[in-house]
Amino acid sequence: MQWLNLLKANTRKEYIELKRYLPNTIAMIFTFYIIFLGMFFGIQIVGDPSTQDANIQYVIVNYIFWFLAMMIINSVGWQITGEAMRGTLEQLSMSPMGIWKIMMMRLVASTIINFTIIVVLLYSSMLTTGQWLNIDVVSLMPILILTLISMFGLGFIIAGISIILKQVEAFLQILQFILAGLTFVPLTVAPFLAYFPFVKGVDLVRSIMIDGTTLSQIGTGDFLILGFNAVFYLLLGLVFFIYCERFAMKKGLLSHY
Amino acid sequence: MWKDITGGGSIVFRKNTTIFLQEGLSLVEPIIEVKNLMKTYKKRRTKELVHAVTDVSFTVNRGEILGLLGPNGAGKTTTIKMICGLLIPDSGTITVNGLNNQKKRFDSLRHISAVLEGNRNLYWRLTVRENLEYFAGNRGASRKEVAGKIDDLLEKFRLKDKENELVNRLSRGMQQKLAIAVAMLAESDVILLDEPTLGLDVETGYEVRQLLREIVRDYNRTIIISTHDMDVVQDLCERTVIVNQGKIVTDDRVENLMKLFDIRSYTVTLSGLLSAQQQQLLLQQFPNHVYTPDTVQSKLEVDLAKSEEIYNLFDVLKMEATPVESIDRNTVNFEQIFMQIVKGGTNDAMVKSS
Repeated sequence: MQWLNLLKANTRKEYIELKRYLPNTIAMIFTFYIIFLGMFFGIQIVGDPSTQDANIQYVIVNYIFWFLAMMIINSVGWQITGEAMRGTLEQLSMSPMGIWKIMMMRLVASTIINFTIIVVLLYSSMLTTGQWLNIDVVSLMPILILTLISMFGLGFIIAGISIILKQVEAFLQILQFILAGLTFVPLTVAPFLAYFPFVKGVDLVRSIMIDGTTLSQIGTGDFLILGFNAVFYLLLGLVFFIYCERFAMKKGLLSHY
Repeated sequence: MWKDITGGGSIVFRKNTTIFLQEGLSLVEPIIEVKNLMKTYKKRRTKELVHAVTDVSFTVNRGEILGLLGPNGAGKTTTIKMICGLLIPDSGTITVNGLNNQKKRFDSLRHISAVLEGNRNLYWRLTVRENLEYFAGNRGASRKEVAGKIDDLLEKFRLKDKENELVNRLSRGMQQKLAIAVAMLAESDVILLDEPTLGLDVETGYEVRQLLREIVRDYNRTIIISTHDMDVVQDLCERTVIVNQGKIVTDDRVENLMKLFDIRSYTVTLSGLLSAQQQQLLLQQFPNHVYTPDTVQSKLEVDLAKSEEIYNLFDVLKMEATPVESIDRNTVNFEQIFMQIVKGGTNDAMVKSS
């Protein structure tokens, strides 16, 4: 029950802040859409007409996923930096629930909210391009959940770095491009990337949304990799975050910005 | 189970916790026990070691208001943060309500809340009520569970009419009150306040002090205040621990310190002047005295190491039959006592009236 109350409190806070920073939220969505249009018209003008449809579909899925990855992974880093600047990080650290649980619920909360935005953006993109992707919720959900879990793990690693270094803005900017690389590069080009967080998931989502693959057609091996990545990266993220928190507590870094 | 001999119900005796009787048979139970605390930092650039806290030990009793004082860099905030579990000591232990705050960190955190950076401890884009609800949620409580408590606190802290106001639109005093209300909502036994009146105007500072007094009286909370505001100490604290250069220099009841420093500082008003011989004797016996000669009315300020020394003063005055108009005991304020202690004076030292 305490977990649920924690989730409710953080979801409500995320939602309220999103509303209070409405111009910022609108600007973010607008920027996303403008960049998407740029890519769409770019493909139409300079792309190969024979593969145009496939390219557009590919761009929609990758771009949406990149946006989601940025929202989830980067936002934890920004949040830690913001909390340290505001002076609320120590208050969160004093919660008997533990800061990692609060951050976990923040991640879930921001994922729920951002996912809603993403669905709207996805349909806007499909409407603009006239390319309708296969939205097979039953097949997509388990893959999405496992992929998101590995993203959370990566988010915790970023949060751990932020809790110690605080001024990680430059790193977060670079991370955006690393995330773009991981979402846009197909696994056929670099199969080892399957063991990187969320790359396998994006690949499977592409396969469902573009090629119309169903859940039953996805091999056990793929699911095992996906499951392994989810557990491995989440545990790695949590252990790293807790280690960083202890380190910050030893060095007195929780309140410093 | 031990019976409360003060007649107020019963209390549970906890392992590792000492309960003892104090004057007047009131039951005193330490809720915080700090033992041999050490914390050393390494300076980033010079790599020089800074001993922030050295062998600090003290206890805080349930329902007590303790003032933790010291000049800047004395180790107050470091000590407070170690008690809050935000900073890990190099050695030493802290128990909160019988729980070691390192080994049972999360359990001990249930007994502690703090306002460490005043109005910076709040979310400025949330309203007063939303802040209270959010912080309660972070401790695992639902909005429904705390709704009534929030209403009570808003009434108590005179923030009811501002409950839907964004925090960034509140005055600093109101933000400070809200930060304390957030700490209160945690329903912890101990509240730690770092500089609760910093930056507040006189009226709001007074209001905050009143609130803190009410918190102790009505809610039986233990409060530890780290402050530079000596009015807060004199007005609120029962006991003070004064730290300087990471070490405790005084741990005593405010009342005792006031008495100790108060009784031995005198201003003697004389008709006429002291002779050269009298002045010479005064210099020998009271080296720190201040003599303000005036042909009509001279003033002599003396600090006595022992109360019997007043007779030596009388002897000096008697030898020339110097007329004494009055002898006044100087009232000292806590700021003067604090300055004297921090400057390295002992409890026997004297404090001059300003």
